[in-house]
Amino acid sequence: MGGSESLVIVGAFHTLSSMLIDIIGAFRFYVVVVVNRFFIRVFGRFDRLRSDKVMPGRKGAFRSRVSGGDASGCSYRLLDSAPSSRTIQLGHVHPQAPGHRTVFCNDREANYIAKYLGNAVSTTKYNLLTFLPKGLYEQFRRVANLYFLAISCLSFTPVSPVSPITNVIPLSIVLFVSLIKEAFEDWKRLQNDTTINNSPVDMLQDKRWESVPWKMLQVGDIIRVKQDGFFPADLLFLATTNPDGVCYTETANLDGETNLKIRKALEKTWDYVIPEKASEFKGEIQCEKPNNSLYTFTGNLVLQKQTLPLGPNQILLRGCSLRNTEYIVGAVIFTGHETKVMMNSMNVPSKRSMLERKLDKVIATLFGVLLTLCLIGAIGSAIFVDVRYYYLQLLINVESQQFNPRNRIMVFFLSIFTLITLYSPIIPISLYVSIEMIKFIQSTKFINNDLRMYHSETNTPALARTSNLNEELGQVEYIFSDKTGTLTRNLMEFFKCSIGGETYGTGITEIEMEVAKENGANNEVHKPSSTKRDKGFNFDDARLMRGAWRNEPNPDMCKEFFRCLAICHTVLPEGEETPNKLRYQAASPDEAALVTAAKHFGFFFYRRTPTMVYVRESHVEKMGKVQDVSYEILNVLEFNSTRKRQSVVCRYKDGRLVLYCKGADSVIYERLGSGNDEIKKITRVHMEQYGEAGLRTLCLAYKDLSHEMYESWNEKFIQAKSSLRDREKKLDEVSELIEKDLNLIGCTAIEDKLQEGVPSCIETLSKAGIKIWVLTGDKLETAINIAYACKLINNDMKQFIISSETDEITDVESRGDQVEIAQFIRETVKTELQKYHGEAQKILNGSSRQKLALLIDGKCLMYALDPTLRSMLLSLSLNCSSVVCCRVSPLQKAQVTRLVRKGANKITLSIGDGANDVGMIQAANIGVGISGLEGMQAVMASDFAIAQFRFLTDLLLVHGRWSYLRLCKVVSYFFYKNLTFTLTQFWFTFQTGFSGQRFYDDWCQSLYNVIFTALPVVIVGLLDKDVSVELSKKYPQLYKEGVNNTFFNWKVVGTLACFSVYQSIVVYNFAVVSSTSGLTPSGLMLGHWDVSTLAFTCLVITVNLRLLMMCSTVTRWHNISIGGSVLLWFIFIFIYAILFIDKGTFFTIYVLMSTICFYLMIILLPTVALLGDFIYEGFQRWLYPYDYQIVQEIHRHDPDPVCAGLLDIGNQQTPEDERRYAFAMLPKEKSRHTGFAFDSPGYESFFASQQGVGAPQRAWDVVRRASMKPQPREQ
Amino acid sequence: MKLSLKLEDQQQNQNPILFKAKIPIAVFGLPFLSAFSATHHHAAAASDKLSLSLRTHFPTGPSLKLSYNTPTTTANSGAGKMDTSPKPKSKSKKPKYSRFTQQELPAWKPILTPGWVIASFVAVAILFIPAGLLCLSASERVVEIVDRYDDECLPDSYSNKGDSFIQSKDTNKTCVRTMKVPRKMTAPVFIYYQLDNFYQNHRRYVKSRSDKQLRDRSYADETRDCKPEDNLDGDENEPIIPCGLVAWSLFNDTYKLSKGNKVLDINKKDIAWKSDTEIKFGSDVYPKNFQKGELIGGGELDETKPLSEQEDLIVWMRTAALPNFRKLYGKIYSDLEANETITIVIQNNYNTYEFGGEKRVVLSTMSWLGGKNDFFGIAFLTIGGICLFMAINFILLYVCKPRPLGDPSYLSWNRNPNGL
Repeated sequence: MGGSESLVIVGAFHTLSSMLIDIIGAFRFYVVVVVNRFFIRVFGRFDRLRSDKVMPGRKGAFRSRVSGGDASGCSYRLLDSAPSSRTIQLGHVHPQAPGHRTVFCNDREANYIAKYLGNAVSTTKYNLLTFLPKGLYEQFRRVANLYFLAISCLSFTPVSPVSPITNVIPLSIVLFVSLIKEAFEDWKRLQNDTTINNSPVDMLQDKRWESVPWKMLQVGDIIRVKQDGFFPADLLFLATTNPDGVCYTETANLDGETNLKIRKALEKTWDYVIPEKASEFKGEIQCEKPNNSLYTFTGNLVLQKQTLPLGPNQILLRGCSLRNTEYIVGAVIFTGHETKVMMNSMNVPSKRSMLERKLDKVIATLFGVLLTLCLIGAIGSAIFVDVRYYYLQLLINVESQQFNPRNRIMVFFLSIFTLITLYSPIIPISLYVSIEMIKFIQSTKFINNDLRMYHSETNTPALARTSNLNEELGQVEYIFSDKTGTLTRNLMEFFKCSIGGETYGTGITEIEMEVAKENGANNEVHKPSSTKRDKGFNFDDARLMRGAWRNEPNPDMCKEFFRCLAICHTVLPEGEETPNKLRYQAASPDEAALVTAAKHFGFFFYRRTPTMVYVRESHVEKMGKVQDVSYEILNVLEFNSTRKRQSVVCRYKDGRLVLYCKGADSVIYERLGSGNDEIKKITRVHMEQYGEAGLRTLCLAYKDLSHEMYESWNEKFIQAKSSLRDREKKLDEVSELIEKDLNLIGCTAIEDKLQEGVPSCIETLSKAGIKIWVLTGDKLETAINIAYACKLINNDMKQFIISSETDEITDVESRGDQVEIAQFIRETVKTELQKYHGEAQKILNGSSRQKLALLIDGKCLMYALDPTLRSMLLSLSLNCSSVVCCRVSPLQKAQVTRLVRKGANKITLSIGDGANDVGMIQAANIGVGISGLEGMQAVMASDFAIAQFRFLTDLLLVHGRWSYLRLCKVVSYFFYKNLTFTLTQFWFTFQTGFSGQRFYDDWCQSLYNVIFTALPVVIVGLLDKDVSVELSKKYPQLYKEGVNNTFFNWKVVGTLACFSVYQSIVVYNFAVVSSTSGLTPSGLMLGHWDVSTLAFTCLVITVNLRLLMMCSTVTRWHNISIGGSVLLWFIFIFIYAILFIDKGTFFTIYVLMSTICFYLMIILLPTVALLGDFIYEGFQRWLYPYDYQIVQEIHRHDPDPVCAGLLDIGNQQTPEDERRYAFAMLPKEKSRHTGFAFDSPGYESFFASQQGVGAPQRAWDVVRRASMKPQPREQ
Repeated sequence: MKLSLKLEDQQQNQNPILFKAKIPIAVFGLPFLSAFSATHHHAAAASDKLSLSLRTHFPTGPSLKLSYNTPTTTANSGAGKMDTSPKPKSKSKKPKYSRFTQQELPAWKPILTPGWVIASFVAVAILFIPAGLLCLSASERVVEIVDRYDDECLPDSYSNKGDSFIQSKDTNKTCVRTMKVPRKMTAPVFIYYQLDNFYQNHRRYVKSRSDKQLRDRSYADETRDCKPEDNLDGDENEPIIPCGLVAWSLFNDTYKLSKGNKVLDINKKDIAWKSDTEIKFGSDVYPKNFQKGELIGGGELDETKPLSEQEDLIVWMRTAALPNFRKLYGKIYSDLEANETITIVIQNNYNTYEFGGEKRVVLSTMSWLGGKNDFFGIAFLTIGGICLFMAINFILLYVCKPRPLGDPSYLSWNRNPNGL
């Protein structure tokens, strides 16, 4: 070996260590994630087990009351009975009545009897004692490990031809590696637990706040939580520093929602704020048993002999944090694992990739092959045994009956066991560990660290939350995408407006730019650089800014417009009352954008009291004058989805009564007064323009009210408001009375920006053969708009629209008979489906090759998903290249996903950002969450998290494809090398009288899999790439090879098996033939072990070279690992052959190396063995090339691209240039669609949350609960 | 033979050696020479080196050198604790660039272009055909005489009753065979015996030996695996040395060669591998209780000679891989001229009749490649030929079915644009 070579090796070890450090670094990142995840950690059964375990102590107390004495289900049954027993009150009579928990606040001794759980939590799977048994148990739940355990046991019997070492060593290594991994992960969890358990909280002790760690908390303790602190346990909210007994909590950790929730303490307890007072608190809480329902709580507080009812309003849940409140005081009710969040931990169903399932089949086949080999051998063995071979003394039984010629049946059966043990390496033991390792590194090192998937604006890298599904990413056929927040940014920006027939705003929307680019623009158009601008305001028109509107033709209209924006909303201001420091709390980003816009126009809304709105108005009376104006809010007519509008009645200081209204154009136009037709017409034109540009529009209107009229209306309103039955309906009716004869002011246009690069990403993906379905809660029109913008649909496509908003259906609906409606819609859907299905077939069979698109709305989908229509829906939609489902509920999203996944047995990927996507994400083969924005729910449920939709290209086309390719190579190589190895043994069996004598030495055999051939294949699994990143994306069609599973199917396996047979024959025969004559000038003969060492050497070289032949790229790591593996074998045998004198292999290698034949053989044998492969590959490549091979050839001279500093490329064009350019490229055609605002999900709930807490159960919660039910077995 | 494994940088050769020691040591009774050295580098990129080398005293023996370099830069401990880090919260999560994580390691991308395919075939052919010719000529030069005698040495009266002949003590087992030397055989001439259908590789047979016992006198009663030939008459205090079926079935035909009237001395020294005679078989282990049982399996041993000198046994006990095998019997250090007649007096003692085995005596010279073995020559030639043939085939293929390299029109989606 030359000097340079040795240098490389030294370098290699250095790099290896740095690689290790990298990997450790990856773990560190993982920790961060774990910390984030903590509160919604997945504990699964274990925690439940735990809480069960703790129960018995108490169960004893009430066992007499639980008839039947079924101890195990106890705690749960008690849970169920909790609500019904709510009426039981008196605390001391039944201190531990079933279904109740009685907490004595501030009295540790009283609570001591109940032996509540401590507040320490443990999310670890093991502890020191249970680690080994439990960890081993987990390992042996894998069939492969169990198989090897069985083989190992067999190898201890005399039947075994090999010493136990052969099987025990690989198994132990594999188990050891797996256990180390488990231990490491568990240790990380332990560290998290410790950190969390030791975080400090103020607890009341001796009339002072003492800082204690969380884990010291006990039920009944009084604690204080400061602003931005997390609640350490489930608390009863007693008092706060806020004047009206309220506090704000953020539940992002619980459900991903970032809007603040209000909790209100009981008035009786408001005083216990200071420690002196709080220490006097001696309440007694009777409440339900710990349960996992986040939104319910029933209990009573017995305070000074008074019983006060408690609801969810008074409960602060562990995991939430305190906002906008200096501190609160609370009493601990549930601790540790009994807190709601901990009991709520969901068991994410673990997903297995298709390749793995396929692998199982291959393994099963291998097992079949193994049995066949054994059977052949065993039959041979039974025939062979004969007394004639006197030198074997077969008649004397040694250890076993195995060679008794008089009992051939026994010989047959025992031989089967012998041969199974001998041939056991046919099933690659290290395969699963290697695959796991490869996937782990792939996800932690490659996916998580990909600079191309790092989003600098939100500072979010991609995150693989599971490493199970890497290669599945390379086989995705269907993508289900949410719209808001996934395709779009969910970043509402005030973009344009039309006031009194004049349009303002100069911006160009992303969609317009995309269209412009489409229309023949080759130049890169970069998005406008985000100059320092307020969130939600992207408006640029000097005519309205800084009071310039005074000079506009219609200044009064402008004034009304701005006032409407500033007054008619339900936004809460937060923070210091200056324009720069104040933040708006709004549930819907649309609202915030509108209020922010008003602020920029000089109408700064800064304070809200229950009856007043304060606005700092500039330039109203004259330029430059700023004055604070207050408006009395008389009534708020709320938004809901039927009204599609929102109104506010306010009284000016001077007594003027005005109703401001904003809403969707259709509803507002219906309610406009007569006159001003010009403005109406122009505004409508403007709205159409905005809609076409993908903007969400809102109409603004106002109406002056006379006192008399208002008073009379208000009476009706109050009446309706206080009515007990049909309140909603009555309120709506009353609102109609006043919301008429409105004066149109104008309209606003808000941009729900498409995410960067979405259209081109979708185009690339569809070129890759991936079909994209958009599932959105939006209206049909909006969805179609976005679909057009994303290039999902174009005018060349045949569009099938199944909508429930046809006149016929509306007619039937107006009649109100539910049964009739259902029947009618079902029939309509059925006929439409049939019609479209027929059309689709015609088009597909025809020559036009027109692409199809299906648009369906939620209501129709509900009927289409009916079992009778499902198959037709499926076959229709599978024929369509894009499908848009609008107005769908989260549950339907999940249903559609499941329909395609199970019904069509395709690999599906769901991508979404919000809580309403959780069901869909879990239902798909792969769930992808959009991270980096608010809300963690989708990310929590996902398998991969990326910051932008466009990163899907990288995730799928690059990482997924490579991962698929690599794992295919790894798996087939494992298959090949073990088959080859075992077959050489098999051929030898024929020459040994079928006695099951092993060909190779024990140690060689056991280390073959784990040392001499292990590392290179891992390197290939990590580093092999057929074409570069750029080419993967340039030729998205390459992805189809994965979708069609080109690289791992029975044909591939069969071909490999043939080569395996050929190679094993070559290796075996060439090696043994050499032993037929003397091999040295000194005439000495080789023995069995010399031959086997020779064969093994050649085999190791052959299989390692074979791997090199499979590589598309050869880095120095390939060279090092392949060379290193061969070298390791030599080092091993050099040492082994002198250390173990009593082994047959003693000195064999030295004997061999003293012959010339050995060297000839190691040249000759691998050449012959690999000749077949080489010829095959030569022919295959020339005659039936794979696509990637052609691409390789096309770009064979390209230099290696390097992406260092990839993302530091700045904008090359100024925003102004871009804007002008995009304008020039604008399409001239018109669309009939307008966009509508008020579509954002969560808008309605905002009002609900304002009224107190009674937040409705969220749809996603239902979905999640549904998904938590025991699921039907996977496949 | 020397295999060297160097793991050092070149500049370090100038390093001052701090310490160096050469110590002869013995490992398992083998003489080894070990050397230990430590060097220290004073330059900035300081690197200490420790090395340990181990080499056998055999002229052909292997040597092993281990050396250790302290890394120049100690790796930073990777995993820091998150909560204790004093860094500001708003840390960029931007992944650090490394060629590994961005999967941009420099790589060689081999593509099997026609040029490569043909070149590889031609290269192999060019390498293998001469090698094959060389091997074949070596094998041709070897003169080998094979004579099967198991049938011939059976008196006619015993035909088909070979086992009773061989088991009887009264029959005359001497058998005289003559053979003609076809070409001149230059000394040394090697005498082999060859057995067919003898399963020395049978599992039961292979296992039935005690290497410990063979090596060391103190392990005399290590006869666990030797059953049923473990102890004499089942008496544990009377272990059979050497025990087991392998030794028990020792081949015991003898050959006496003469050329005309001149007896040819058969040298039985150095017919076994050195490692066996020197280490595996003890020089203080003497045969005991051998072939004293009821059944006699084969040859007997001289109880006055230690096992390490019983080379016949040593040869026999290096079990063969195949049921047809050849073992070295001895050497003649005199030339045999062409057309000379050699007389072999065979003591036909070994029972192969029972299982239908064959016995042969083989006289052979040796070449640099060993005995008569056309296998290598033929294999090399065939493979060389096949490669040449394939090269032509591929040339034809490339001519007949031409395909421009890297033609996009061959991409599947271009070939049938409408296909799904």
